[in-house]
Amino acid sequence: MTDIQAKLKEIGPFVEGADDNLLVCRCEEVTKGQIRKAVHEGIFTLEEMRRYLRSGMGLCQGQTCGKMVKSIIASELKVSPSEVVPASSRAPMRPIEMCILAEDGGVSHE
Amino acid sequence: MERIENHPILGETPKRKKVTFSYDGKLLEGYEGEPIAAALKAAGVMAHRYTAKKHEPRGIFCAIGRCTDCVMIVDGKPNIRTCITPLEAGMVVQTQYGVSAKPDA
Amino acid sequence: MKIERYDMIVIGAGPAGLSAAIEAAKKGLKPIVFDENAKPGGQLFKQIHKFFGSKEHKAKVRGFKIGEELLDEAEKYGVEVILDATVVGLYPEKEVTVKVGGSVRHYKGDAVLVATGASENMVNFEGWTKPGVIGAGAAQTMMNLHHIKPGNRILMLGSGNVGLVVSYQLLQAGCEVVALADAAPRVGGYGVHAAKIARCGVPFYLSHTIVRVEGEDAVTGVVIGQVGADWKIIPGTEKHFDVDTVCLAVGLSPMSQLLKQAEVKMNDTKGGHVPEIDRYGATSVPGIYAAGDVSGIEEASSAMIEGRMSGASITCYLGYMTEEERDARIEELENQLETLRQGMFAPKNRGKLVEKTDEGIDVSMNLLNKGFVADDEIERFPGVTHQKGIHPVIECTQNIPCNPCQDACKMGCIRIGKNITSLPAIDEEKKCIGCGMCVASCSGQSIFLVEEDVEPGFGEVTMPYEFLPVPEVGDKGIALGRDGKEVCKAEVTKVRCAPVFDHTNLLTIKVPNDMVMKARFYKKEA
Repeated sequence: MTDIQAKLKEIGPFVEGADDNLLVCRCEEVTKGQIRKAVHEGIFTLEEMRRYLRSGMGLCQGQTCGKMVKSIIASELKVSPSEVVPASSRAPMRPIEMCILAEDGGVSHE
Repeated sequence: MERIENHPILGETPKRKKVTFSYDGKLLEGYEGEPIAAALKAAGVMAHRYTAKKHEPRGIFCAIGRCTDCVMIVDGKPNIRTCITPLEAGMVVQTQYGVSAKPDA
Repeated sequence: MKIERYDMIVIGAGPAGLSAAIEAAKKGLKPIVFDENAKPGGQLFKQIHKFFGSKEHKAKVRGFKIGEELLDEAEKYGVEVILDATVVGLYPEKEVTVKVGGSVRHYKGDAVLVATGASENMVNFEGWTKPGVIGAGAAQTMMNLHHIKPGNRILMLGSGNVGLVVSYQLLQAGCEVVALADAAPRVGGYGVHAAKIARCGVPFYLSHTIVRVEGEDAVTGVVIGQVGADWKIIPGTEKHFDVDTVCLAVGLSPMSQLLKQAEVKMNDTKGGHVPEIDRYGATSVPGIYAAGDVSGIEEASSAMIEGRMSGASITCYLGYMTEEERDARIEELENQLETLRQGMFAPKNRGKLVEKTDEGIDVSMNLLNKGFVADDEIERFPGVTHQKGIHPVIECTQNIPCNPCQDACKMGCIRIGKNITSLPAIDEEKKCIGCGMCVASCSGQSIFLVEEDVEPGFGEVTMPYEFLPVPEVGDKGIALGRDGKEVCKAEVTKVRCAPVFDHTNLLTIKVPNDMVMKARFYKKEA
C-alpha cells in the first residue's frame, strides 16, 4: 500500500503546466491539468481517478483515454506507467440503456 | 466530401437506393443502409454534436461505434452512434448539444 | 432467468475468433460466435492490400478476400455467428452476458474463447478533438467499407505498418497525403510499405509530431514540429500544412477488459494489458482461452493461426480430440506462427535498431529515416542485378516473412530458400521472360522489371500500379524516383491488367537508359 502522505511529500506541490488545458478524456471533458492536480490531492490509481473526475466513465468507458490517464498519473508520481494500479473491469463492458439493464434476469415488476 | 465511385482494388461502388432524410431541418440525400455518418460526410457535415461542458464540436473519430464522439439525436433519441446506425428514409437527424437538441439547454 | 448452454462460446468474429470456431466445428463442436458489429470479419474487410507470409499464411491474397474465405468456411462447417451482439460481461464460471437488441441474454459455455482484438491508441495535442481528426481505422472504414473519402488533404501521424498501409490506401482512394509524421526517429513499419508511398511523393517527417490542429468547426490546418531528445518540440522547427483531415495511427492496444473481468491472470506489458496464456491459448481460468490481438498485438495472419491453435485446444479440452492429436496440430501451427515471427520485425526486435540484414548487408538508413532506399544504397542488395535483356529488380531490403515472389517466377530467377525472411536474390543463370508474375505477386510492391536497352538511348521499367485511372499506352508523363521527385520524362509503352495479377496492374514506361535504375513511379503530366 502506498503511503499517500509520504508520496505527496516526495512529488512536491502541484505546478501549473503549459498544456494543462489539453483535453484527455473526450467523453467527460477532463483535462490534463485536472488529472495532474488530482494526483497532488492524493488520487493515485485509475479507479480513484474515475470516481473523482469521471475520466473514463463516459460513453466510451475509457477506451480512448485510459492509456493517457495512466501515463499522466505515472509521470506525476514519477513512476513507470506499469506501476499505476489499473481500473477494475466490470460489467457492463459497453454502454447499455438502463431500461435494458433493469430487465436483465426477467421482466421487472413495478 | 466526395464519394468514391470507382476504386482501383474494390472496383465500382455497388448501386444503392437513394433516400432522403432530414438534418437539422434541411433535406439531405444518402444511401439506404449506409451509416448516417457516411451520408452526412458526403454532404459535407463535419460537426455532429457540441459537448456538454465546453460546447466544443465533435465529429467522426473511430467510425466503428466505440468512441461515441459522433452521437446525434436520431428520430428524437439522443446519443445515437451515427457511424454504425444505418440510414433509413425519412430519418430525422439533429445536432446534439450536450444531450439535447437545443443549444441552450 | 434462462441460461443457454453451448460447448464453445467465442467472443469476436474477427480472424482469430472465426478461425478458432472453424477449427473446432471441423471436429464436430457447435460453437457460437458473438460480435458487437453488424458484419463479421473484424478488421479484415478493411484490409485491401495483399498479405505477407507464405502460401500457408495466404500470402499475396488481399485481406478482404481472406475475410470472405473465412466466412464461407464458417458457414460450411455450421458455425453460428450472432451479430449486433455485444458481450457486456464474462464471469469466471464461464457465463457470458450478451446484449442483443433490447435485452440481455445469458449464456454458459463449457469453454469460452476471448478474441476481442484491439483498439486504437490515441495521442492528444491542441485541437485533437476537432471534427476531422480521426483514427487510421476510421479512415479505412470510411473509404474501404463505405466508399467515402475520409478527406481531401490529409496528414498521417504514425509510421508503423498501419500508418503506412492506410496512407497508401488513402492515395488509392484519391486523397492527397500531404505528409507522414512520426515522433520516432525511424520508420516503424516495413520498408516496402514506406517505399510505396514515398515514391508517390509523400514526404516523411521522422522525429516530428503534431503541435496543434487548427480550425473552428472542422480541421483547416495542422502544425508539426521536430521533437528533441526530451520529446519536446524544438522551437523554430514548426511546419504548417493546409489539411482538412489528420489521421492518427499510433498503435493498438489489446481489448482485454473481459478477460480481466473473468479474473484471468493478466500481465501489464509495454504492448498493453494481456492475459497470461500457455502454448494452447489457455488462460489461468480453466476453460477460458484467448487468441489474436487481445493476447498481444500482431498481424491478422498471426491471429488466424492463434485462433486455430485455441480452436484445437478447446476441441481437446472438451473431449473431441485426443491430447496426441492436439499436440500434433499445435506443433504444426506453432511452426507456421514461428515463421511469421522471424526477421527484423520479429517481436523480439521491437523498438530495436537493426543495422544489418541476416545476410550481413547494411540496412538502408535512408529507408529508415526518409522512407525510401537511396539510389546509391540499392545496388548492394541481392535482388538488384544488372543484366542484358529484361530482368527483375527486387527492392526488398529488409528481412520480412514473405516469399510469394519465389513461387511466382516459373523460370526460377528468384531465390529465397527455406527461410522465408531471407532477402530475395536473383539467379542470373536463369532467364527472365518478362511475364511480370513476380511484380504482381509482391505484397510490398517492391519488384520492377528492368530492360536497359530496348532502343538506342532508351530502356523500359515495368512497375506495379494500383491507382485509377490506369494510364494508356502512348500516354506521356513524368517518371518519379524512389524519393517521389521527378527524374525524367516517360512514355507508357505497355499496360497489363490480367485477372491473375489481382488488381496490381503492370505499367511499363520508356525512359532514357541511364534512368532505368532510378525511375520507380509514373505520373501523368499535370
